[in-house]
Amino acid sequence: MTAALLEARAVTVRFGGLTAVDRVEARFSAGELVGIIGPNGAGKTTFFNALSGVQPLTSGRLLVGGVDLTGRAPHAFAQHGIARSFQTPRVFGEMSVADNVRFGLQFAGRRRAAPPLLRDEASILALIGLGAQAALPAAAVTPSQQRLLEIGMALATRPRLLLLDEVAAGLTEAEVEAMAGLARRLRDELGLGIVWIEHAVATLLKHVERVLVLHQGRKLADDVPAAVIRQPEVIEAYLGDEMAEAA
Amino acid sequence: MSFGAWLELLASGLITGGVYALVALGLNLQYGLMRIMNISHGEFLMLGAYATWAATVGWGLSPLLMMPVAFVLLGATGLVVHWLCFRRLTRTSATVDIFEARSLMVGFGLLFLVQNFASMVWGGELRGYDFMTQPVAVPLTSGGSQFAANKLLVFALALAFSAALIALLRFTLLGKAVRALMQSPTGAQLVGIPTERLHPLMFGLGLGLAGVAGSLLSMTEAITPAMGEPYTVTALIVITLGGFGSMAGSLAGGLLLGVVEALGMHFTSPSLKMLLSYGVFIGVLLWRPNGLFNKR
Amino acid sequence: MNLTNHRSTRDLLVLAGLAAALLALPAVASEFITSLALSCLMYAALASSWSLFCGATRYLSLATSAFFGIGAYVTALGLDALPWPLLILAGAGAAALLAVLMGAAVLHLRGTYFAVLTFGMTELIRHAVTYGEKQVAGTVGRVLATVPEPGTVYLTVMLIAVAAVATAIGVRRSRFGLALAGVGADEQRAQTLGVNTKLVKIAGFALTAAFAGAAGAAMAVRWTYIDPHTVFNPFIGFQTVLIALIGGAATLWGPVIAAVVFSLLAETLRLQLPQLYMMVLGVLLILCVLYLPSGLASVRWAGVRATWSRVTHLLNVRPRGHGRSA
Repeated sequence: MTAALLEARAVTVRFGGLTAVDRVEARFSAGELVGIIGPNGAGKTTFFNALSGVQPLTSGRLLVGGVDLTGRAPHAFAQHGIARSFQTPRVFGEMSVADNVRFGLQFAGRRRAAPPLLRDEASILALIGLGAQAALPAAAVTPSQQRLLEIGMALATRPRLLLLDEVAAGLTEAEVEAMAGLARRLRDELGLGIVWIEHAVATLLKHVERVLVLHQGRKLADDVPAAVIRQPEVIEAYLGDEMAEAA
Repeated sequence: MSFGAWLELLASGLITGGVYALVALGLNLQYGLMRIMNISHGEFLMLGAYATWAATVGWGLSPLLMMPVAFVLLGATGLVVHWLCFRRLTRTSATVDIFEARSLMVGFGLLFLVQNFASMVWGGELRGYDFMTQPVAVPLTSGGSQFAANKLLVFALALAFSAALIALLRFTLLGKAVRALMQSPTGAQLVGIPTERLHPLMFGLGLGLAGVAGSLLSMTEAITPAMGEPYTVTALIVITLGGFGSMAGSLAGGLLLGVVEALGMHFTSPSLKMLLSYGVFIGVLLWRPNGLFNKR
Repeated sequence: MNLTNHRSTRDLLVLAGLAAALLALPAVASEFITSLALSCLMYAALASSWSLFCGATRYLSLATSAFFGIGAYVTALGLDALPWPLLILAGAGAAALLAVLMGAAVLHLRGTYFAVLTFGMTELIRHAVTYGEKQVAGTVGRVLATVPEPGTVYLTVMLIAVAAVATAIGVRRSRFGLALAGVGADEQRAQTLGVNTKLVKIAGFALTAAFAGAAGAAMAVRWTYIDPHTVFNPFIGFQTVLIALIGGAATLWGPVIAAVVFSLLAETLRLQLPQLYMMVLGVLLILCVLYLPSGLASVRWAGVRATWSRVTHLLNVRPRGHGRSA
């Protein structure tokens, strides 16, 4: 049994009266391609924020590679190999594309083992396909390129687990396929674990091996896609017709 | 300390607090509505005081007459200041945080400008005049307490103006529009509320209130170019205590602060006044940056 | 990376040249000019070190007066006990310590709060020292008796200014400087990329404070009589911020050049028309924030020159109807 890269134990996040994440248990290991789906307000992004240290937990524990990082600042999570991209790309607009990637290399990525694909910013840019845009200021590239840059910045920290937040939103089918291909390649060649939140259910289910379903902060299901779409609670709470299509 | 003495202390605190509330209401209108942290607010109070003094001493006009004049004068100044200084910032600032930081810096610039202008024109000596200084007996206790008539007048008028503002905001259509803008700028614009006109109007109103407060204070306090700054600080404390955008909070907070100050000064020492004010300010900002009355 | 290295080498060379010239100044120039230079150097040190932290991270610190004043008081208290160099270091150290305490308390707050809080804390310290002095010493001011020679003071302030600019050059090309820039661009993003922003901010703030404290410690002896109103004067902080903003807080030389310009302006105007000077400052600050938020150094001078040459070229063109040369 592979050791879990990231383990969430009874993670709960409460904002005043609202429980955004409700005692969610999850384990993510190296080499997994896991998806997280759920309707709006299900707590997916809040869960990601918790997993990356950006959002403090109300209760519960987070273990990264067996080390308890509950309550630590985000940089500790990054230093232990958890990287994330943001839903709306948060790139350093005034720095060049190359410098954006170099940023992660200078900090969390510094003391971590450097596989050849993530050796320096040139190789990372080649990996995500932004080699030609290296010298442009990050604010000047297109939104979908910025999304790729987001991933590149995350990769620069040389993570073991990559959290992707709705990276396929607004992309064409071909672009989504390319994105999924990139994710698979990262998993295959770098052994990364990939956790992918996506709103477009059918799209996601095609590409992941395991899927978590969140609804109103609670985890409804955690299994292979084929099994999840048949679970009654999932169908009732969320999927309905969409699942009939996918099945 | 006797009960009567307590009441007297309380009353004198409330009197000071009334002016604090009036100044804070003006500042809150500007910050709550427009996110303009007008650090030069007190300087316009000072201008109102000088204007009233000049009219009283130079032309023999009653300060009571000057009050509405000060309001109009400084209200108009507010319109001009907003048009010249803050309107462009709204257009050129990318985020609210940037706008806030820039308007803070503009406020500092105004502070330099106005305070030194006054210093240049009127000089640094203390000015003042006497108006209704006769003591009035107020039946607070069996022995009867005495307060200067002008202080009572200041308190009454400060409360009256504060109440008028709150009534304006609560009961008129204009007030509703302003409150809507405060709560949801985008939503308000979508239903046709003219932001472009309301912002300068409310900024002017805020400054007008400062002018009135200055006019009131000119009756009881010494007038110097530097008199405004402590009131700005106090107003900042009050709006932080009472919550940004909450008018009732500013009223309550102002009165409360006046009382706290009176008690604090009595039990420690008057020279600690500024120290206490800043101490409270920092304490509140650190402990409850959203104000004491916010549920968060 | 190569470009940055070249630029910082060039900057260091310029700095070395300036330092040499400044070193020679007292020998060749009059006392008045030297004193003018001293003023420029003081604000160059203050503005440069302020920009080092605040320019990059976009935190608006109004605490410079507090750090400056603390340094001055260290000198006032320790002048008879410590040798001069140690005194300056102690001033820097005390200011840095204050910054660490202040920073730990307020650096997690966003822009406006931070600015207003640093202002409030500075005033609090001023009033606290005033009150403390009255209680302990009876009077508010202190006289500095055994004062080092003016030449020593000049040299010290010059060294502090040079050190401030040199540190700025060094930081800008270091990982620390990159971290500061990340904090300014998007703090949370920088955190998720591995930057310990809390530590970085406190360190930057302390660095800024150290130079301000050293400057205060040195300048105190120039005034020989210090009191809280003078050394904790919030105007010192405002002028520093103003100079840095107008010069261009994110640039290296902007604040330095602006420091020189404003010190000269101050010296000429301040004695005759002090209020006018402050009013001009106020107007300049407003104009700068409204029209040049990134400071003068950010104006693209190449663009200005291009526009200018286009304009003059237009003015030289023959009027229509005269035909072109065949």
